Amino acid sequence: MKKNLVMGMILMFVAGIVAQGGVFDFLFKNKKQETLTVYAGMMEDYALKATKQFEKETGIKTNMVRMSGGEILARIRAEKENPIADVWFGGGALTFIEADQENLLTHYLSPMRKEIISNFKDKNGAWTGIYSGYLGIEGNKKWLAEKGLELPQTWDDLLKPEFKNNIVIAHPGSSSTAYNFVATIIQLKGEEKGMEYLKKFNQQVRQYTKSGSAPGRMVGLGEAPIAIGFLHDGIRYQKEGYKDLIFTTPKEGTGYEIGAVGIVKNSPNQAAAKKFVDWALSKQAQEIGQTVGSYQFLTNKNATPPKEALQLKRAKLIDYDIQWAGANRKRLIDKFSRETRTTIPTK
Amino acid sequence: MVEKTINLKKKRENNFSLKIKNEIINIRKIYDDPVLMITIIFSLLVVGFFILLPLFNILKSSLLQNGKLTLYHYKDVLNQANSLQVIWNTVKLGMVTGTLATGIGFLFAYVITYIDVPGKKIFDSIAILPIISPPFVIALSAILLFGRIGLITHGIFGIENEIYGFTGLVLVQTLTFFPVAYLMLVGLLEKIDPSVEEAARDLGASRWQVFKTITLPLMVPGLANAFLIVFIQAIADFGNPMVIGGNYTTAAVQIYLQGIGSFDMGAATALSIILLSLSVGIFAFQKYYISKRSYVTVTGKVSKAREKITGKKITYSMTAILFIITLIVGMMYALIPIVAFVKLWGVNYSLSLSHFKYVFALGLKPILDTTYLALIATPITGIIAMIIGFLIVRKKFIGKNFIEFMTMVALAIPGTIIGLGYVITYNKKPLVLTGTAMIILIAFIIRNMPVGIRSAIAALQQIDPSIEEAASVLGANSHKVFTSITLPMIKPAFFSGLIYAFVRSMTLISTIIFLISARYNLLTPAIMSQIDLGRLGVASAYCTILVIIVSVFIMIMKLLFKKIGIDEISEV
Repeated sequence: MKKNLVMGMILMFVAGIVAQGGVFDFLFKNKKQETLTVYAGMMEDYALKATKQFEKETGIKTNMVRMSGGEILARIRAEKENPIADVWFGGGALTFIEADQENLLTHYLSPMRKEIISNFKDKNGAWTGIYSGYLGIEGNKKWLAEKGLELPQTWDDLLKPEFKNNIVIAHPGSSSTAYNFVATIIQLKGEEKGMEYLKKFNQQVRQYTKSGSAPGRMVGLGEAPIAIGFLHDGIRYQKEGYKDLIFTTPKEGTGYEIGAVGIVKNSPNQAAAKKFVDWALSKQAQEIGQTVGSYQFLTNKNATPPKEALQLKRAKLIDYDIQWAGANRKRLIDKFSRETRTTIPTK
Repeated sequence: MVEKTINLKKKRENNFSLKIKNEIINIRKIYDDPVLMITIIFSLLVVGFFILLPLFNILKSSLLQNGKLTLYHYKDVLNQANSLQVIWNTVKLGMVTGTLATGIGFLFAYVITYIDVPGKKIFDSIAILPIISPPFVIALSAILLFGRIGLITHGIFGIENEIYGFTGLVLVQTLTFFPVAYLMLVGLLEKIDPSVEEAARDLGASRWQVFKTITLPLMVPGLANAFLIVFIQAIADFGNPMVIGGNYTTAAVQIYLQGIGSFDMGAATALSIILLSLSVGIFAFQKYYISKRSYVTVTGKVSKAREKITGKKITYSMTAILFIITLIVGMMYALIPIVAFVKLWGVNYSLSLSHFKYVFALGLKPILDTTYLALIATPITGIIAMIIGFLIVRKKFIGKNFIEFMTMVALAIPGTIIGLGYVITYNKKPLVLTGTAMIILIAFIIRNMPVGIRSAIAALQQIDPSIEEAASVLGANSHKVFTSITLPMIKPAFFSGLIYAFVRSMTLISTIIFLISARYNLLTPAIMSQIDLGRLGVASAYCTILVIIVSVFIMIMKLLFKKIGIDEISEV
C-alpha cells in the first residue's frame, strides 16, 4: 500500500512536469516562437525592465543575462562558431569597437539612427549609442568637512598632498570606467605628460578596485574619502540614501562613456535582433533607464534626459575620440600597469 | 619444488578459467534480464558521458596547442608567478582551514560525547546548519559584521577592518566546514569503548593523561581523515573565495576567471588538471591509506554507557567556548533576514521592504527557475543513486568496478572543473547542451548523485542479501525484487537523499556558474552578482527567500515521511 502511494506520487510528479508544456521541448529546444537572446552590460534592473517591455510590445520572447562588458566580449568570442546571443545591449562602446575589430558584430544601420546625436554612433553601424555618462570626482562630505577640505575641482587638485593615499578608483585593466579616466587624462595632456600625471596620481591611490562602480559606493559609505567614477552612479547612490556623497566634474573638462547596442554576427535571430536595436534607439526605450535608477544622458534627440542628470548639463567635456580610445586600449593599459607597477585586482 | 610451481600454475589457470566462466554466467544472467541490462547500460552511459568525458576533454584541451600535443599550457601556468601564487594560496587555505575546522570539530565532538553539557541539542543542530544553508550566508554575514562597515568592527570598535582576503576567507571557511569534521569525529568518539579509558582511570591516570595517551592516539587516523576531507572541500570551494577572497585568489576562482572571464581555455584547463590531481590524490590517500588505519574499532563494541566528565571547571569552560562559537554561527544566520529588511546597511538602519520589492518586481525569474529545475532533478537524482547503489552492492557485471570507482572519485572532483568540462564538451556539435535546461539538470544530478550512491550503498550493506535471494528463488525477477523488497527497506535513505539532493541543487554554485545562460539564470549566481555590485540588502533578501524555500521543502518531505510511515530520517 505504502509503496503504491510513493510510486503514485512520483508518477504524478513526473506527469505534472510532462504536462507543463512538453518535457522534450523544455529540455532540448530554446525556441518555439520568435525569440531573442540578449547579453546586457548595463545595470541589471535597467536591462530587465527594458527586455520585459520589449517582450510586451513586440511579443518576441526575450531572454537576458547581465554580465560585465569584458565578460560579454569573452563569451561572444567563445561562442563565435555557434553564437547564442543575438543582441549585445549596454556597456561601453570601447568594448564594441574591440569586438568589431575581431569581426564579431553585424553591421546594421537602423532607420532610427537619424534620431541619434551624430557623434554617438559608429559610421558603419557596428554599434549605436543609447546613453552616455560623464566621468567625475566623488567625495565624502563628512570626511572633507572634518579635515577642512574642499572637494577637488580639477584633475590637478587630485595630486595635492592632502589627498595622498585617499583616492579610490577601479583598475583600468578590469574596468572601462577607469580606462575612461586614463584615456581622458591622456587626451587632455598628451601621452607623455599624461603618463607623468598618472604616475603621480598613482601615489595618491589607496586602492584599485575591480568594478568601476565600487569606488563611488565606498565613498558613500565613508569607507573611502575620494573616488573617481561615473557620475550617474553617484546620483544613484545619493538617491539610494548615501547622503554624504557629493561630486563634481573637473574644470579642465571630463571624458564620457557611450553605452551602445549592437548585433552579434551569425546569431540565430538576426531579424528579431534588428527589431530590438530599432526599439532600443527609440525615445520610449531610452527613457526606461531613469525609472530604475540609471541616470545617464540619452542619445535620442527627442528623449527627455532624467531630471536628476540636469545638474551635470553644464559640465565641460573634452573632445573625446572614442575610436582612438578603443584602438589604443590594450597598449595604454599595458603602459599604465607598467609605469605604475600595478596589476588588475582579481576580485 | 618444480611440482609445486606446476601445481600453483594449474591452480591459477583453474582460477582464471573459473573467473571467465563466472563472467560468462554473469553476462548470461544479465542478458536474460532486460530490465537489468538496460539499467546497467544506462548507468555506464551516465557516468561515461557526464563524468569521464568532460574530464577527458579538459585533459585533452590542456595538452593541445594549435592541434599539437605539448606541455605548453602547464609550462605557461607554472612560469607565471601569479599562477604559482594561486596554487600556493589554494594549498595554504586548505591546510589552515583543514586544521582549524578539524580542531573546532573535534572540540565539539569531544565535549558532546564526554562532558555533560547543557543544551546539547542546540550545539548539535547549530553544527549541522552550515551544511544545509546557501554558500554565501556566512560570507555575507562576515562582511556585514566584521567588514569595513561591519556592525561589530566598525559599529562597536570603530575600526575599518579589511575582511576581504585570507583572514576573512579562513574565518568563513572554518565556520562552514567544521560541521563536516564534527560529524565524522563524533561518530568515531562514540565508538571508543569507555572500559579502555576506565581501566586507565582505575590504574590512577588523570583525565588529562587518559585523553593524551588513550583518546587522542586512538583518534589520530580519524583526525587525519577529517583534516583531509575538509582540505578537499576547502580547496574546491568556489562561493566563499569569490565573495570574500578579495585579492587572495584560489585555483577554483582562477579557473572560472580564465575560463569564462577571458576565455583562456589553455590556462584554465591546465590549472584544472593541477587542482584535480591535488584533490583526487589526497582523496585516494585518505580513502585507501588513512581510512584503513582506524584503531577505534580495535577497542571492540561499546559495552556500556560512558561515565561523563562532571568537573565544574571543565564543564563550565567548555560550555562557554561552545556557547561562544554557537553564538557566532547563530548570529550570522540570524543577521541575513534582518539585513534583508534594513534600508541601507551601514548608513540607514530603518526598516524597509525595498529589497524584497526589488526581488519580486525584477528578480523572481532566477528563484522560480532554480526551484523548478531543482524539483525535477531531485527525484531523478534519488532514483538513479538508488539504482546505481543497488547495482554496486548486489550485482556482478562488467564495468561495475569502473562505476563504483568513478562515483567515488566524483566526490572529490571540484565543481568548477565539472562546470568547465561541460562547457568544453557540450558547446559544440554533435551535442549542443549549453544554454538549455538539460545541462543544468545534468549538473544538479551529477553533483549530488555520488553522495546518494554512498548512502544507498551504506543502507544496502546492512540488509541481508538472503531476503532478496529468497524472493528471487520464489520466482521474482530483478525488477520485482528491487521494487518490492529492496526499495521499501532503503526508503529512509532514499528520502533523506531527496532532501539532500534538493537542498544541494538549490545552493549549488561552483558548477552552474559556468552553465547559466540568458534563458536560465539561477539563484546563486544572482546572489553573487548582487554582492559584487554592493547591494547587500538585495543579496540578503535573496538568501532569505532561498532559506524559506529549502525549509518549506524539508517540512513537506517530513510530513510525507510521517504519512508513509518513516519516522527516522537517516543522516545524509
